[in-house]
Amino acid sequence: MTFIINILSLGIPFSVALLIASLGEMFNQRSGIFNLGCEGMMAMGAFLGMLVPYSIGKGADVPGIYNYLGLMLATGVGALLGIFFALVVVTFRAPQGIAGIGMQMFGVGTAGTLFRHFIGGTQSVPGINTAPIPGLSRIPVLGPLFFNHNPLVYVAFLLVPLSWWVLFKTPWGLRVRAVGTHPRAADSIGIQVNRVRYQALAVGGALAGLAGAYLSLCQAKMFSDEIIAGRGFIAVALVYFGQWHPVKIMGGALLFTLAQALQLAIQGLGIDFPYEFLVMLPYLLVIIVLAFSRKTQKMGPTSLGKPFNREMRT
Amino acid sequence: MKKALFVLLAVLAIGLLMVSCGKKETPTATAPAPAQAVAQPATVPAPTPAPVAEQPKPAKVIKIALIIENTIDDKGWCQAMHDGITLAVQQNPGRIEYSYSEKMKPVDAGSAVLQYAGQGYDVIIGHGAQYKNLITEMAAEYPDISFAFGTSSEIVGPNVFSYMPQSEETGYLNGLIAGMLTKSNVIGLIGPVDGGDAARYNRGFVLGVKAVNASANVMVAHTGSFSDFVKATEVAHSQIRSGADILTGSSQQALGGLRAVADYRDKDIWWVGQDLAQIGIPEGYKVLSASSYNYAAVINTLVKRLDAGIKGGENIPMNFNNDGFVFKFNDATKSKITSAVEAKVNEALAAFKGQAGHASVVDWSSVKYN
Repeated sequence: MTFIINILSLGIPFSVALLIASLGEMFNQRSGIFNLGCEGMMAMGAFLGMLVPYSIGKGADVPGIYNYLGLMLATGVGALLGIFFALVVVTFRAPQGIAGIGMQMFGVGTAGTLFRHFIGGTQSVPGINTAPIPGLSRIPVLGPLFFNHNPLVYVAFLLVPLSWWVLFKTPWGLRVRAVGTHPRAADSIGIQVNRVRYQALAVGGALAGLAGAYLSLCQAKMFSDEIIAGRGFIAVALVYFGQWHPVKIMGGALLFTLAQALQLAIQGLGIDFPYEFLVMLPYLLVIIVLAFSRKTQKMGPTSLGKPFNREMRT
Repeated sequence: MKKALFVLLAVLAIGLLMVSCGKKETPTATAPAPAQAVAQPATVPAPTPAPVAEQPKPAKVIKIALIIENTIDDKGWCQAMHDGITLAVQQNPGRIEYSYSEKMKPVDAGSAVLQYAGQGYDVIIGHGAQYKNLITEMAAEYPDISFAFGTSSEIVGPNVFSYMPQSEETGYLNGLIAGMLTKSNVIGLIGPVDGGDAARYNRGFVLGVKAVNASANVMVAHTGSFSDFVKATEVAHSQIRSGADILTGSSQQALGGLRAVADYRDKDIWWVGQDLAQIGIPEGYKVLSASSYNYAAVINTLVKRLDAGIKGGENIPMNFNNDGFVFKFNDATKSKITSAVEAKVNEALAAFKGQAGHASVVDWSSVKYN
């Protein structure tokens, strides 16, 4: 029983960065923009998130407000990067895949360069610690599973219903879905396609920045150039895995990280089995599920990856 | 269309520029004048005029270039080599001129090697087994230059040195400490991959634990990466939740493990490290001991070999016997170390220091932990 509780209680916080970034990518893709630059935006968020508390505390404890200022800075700059990306792919209609790779390199390179300039080498920060919910965290089994986490864990899981509500129950969400599915039809009824795509990319960028800051401020509590380590690309894959739906994306993120926690626990048991296969397990799982999700292709935004030009007939 | 293409190229160019800016150029650490290295003959007072001593020929300045995949301040693998060369520069005044190139992926490193070769460097070190193929090819192309790579015990050419830390020794010492001080009898070990010196460290650690506490359970888990310290934090949290109260790990990813241990500020959960730099960081209050590579031993050996006209074809071991390792208890946590632990560690340390050559006291290859 303890074995299972440990896996579950670790899988939940591990999933947060992926979940937040995937939700951001979902907004991007729902509006018809494929953002492979998520990794770069996360890297910038990770760096800027820890820059504020590090600059003030130099490794020592700082009042919690500075950590949250770091989160806000990361989120804000993420939104700006999203707008910059929108400028490239929406206004200038650059090929989204290539521009995304450019954004990924730009983000990772800029974060690494600024890190070397302002901080120097790998440094840690006290970061944001676990905040057990009084009373609830003491409930046997459920307490450690659901009520003994970092504040951002609760925020991330609250973002799931919030994203669902925004996407499916608000006029703005309807516009996002419309421009990602039938931009010409949306345009014909007066929706400003490019403006909505700018907004969706700003939201996506902000969430990518927040996801990066979670890694540097809450999970690892340090930064190095390679902190994201491909998680931005996994977030993109999880959007497909979750069929562009917040709840399914959450399921995908949890499945991935629970598999991760499981493989770590199995390694710890000392079973005679090559660890390389266990390390592969979460990635293999995502590939298998994607391969067998036949509906996925049908459910995606039909204009995903296609630039919109209202002057051009399709 | 042209406009879009222009913007796309501009974004890519900026991206590439920023990535390349992350790689430091090759500053020269020090280049003292060769004359400083001339040994002064001893003067002995004598009633008769002393014969005129022949002035030794000024020793040649050896230009060493280092190529690393991370940075010189990564508090791990690359920093250890950089610190070692810097120390060797100080220990051999006027003898060594040193430059380095950071963040060199094996596919990019070829151009750096060519530049160093063109600039007349005497020794080019690719610090990591991933540079083996590159070094082997370049060594064949430039037979007058000495190359070195590690960690490996392979001999790949007459002008190539390899170096191999016998990390089972440092692992063994940390294992003794962990085995004697664990209260839960569960110990966590965070490995990057099961290969090279990491495999030796891990197995030495297991042997150390078992030598003093046969019933202890050593939980071994690999992250599959040398640099993904986020994953190392996940492993550490997983092991701590499973009862581990002393943890260890190697390579730069291990810093994530230490960071996770530091999250348990008021709990009896400790870290035994594989890098002395870990003692000096804010999380150092959780470090009981650390042992570190002293690559100055490798560099000093290289200098001696080059002075003797040997350009390669040898493996240089690193161990306590040739001062290739440094071990230290953390003064800040010394109160946790009992006299029995200290005696046991000192006994093993003395055995390692007395063991010359490649053979190690610790038979690391016999350990199978999964």
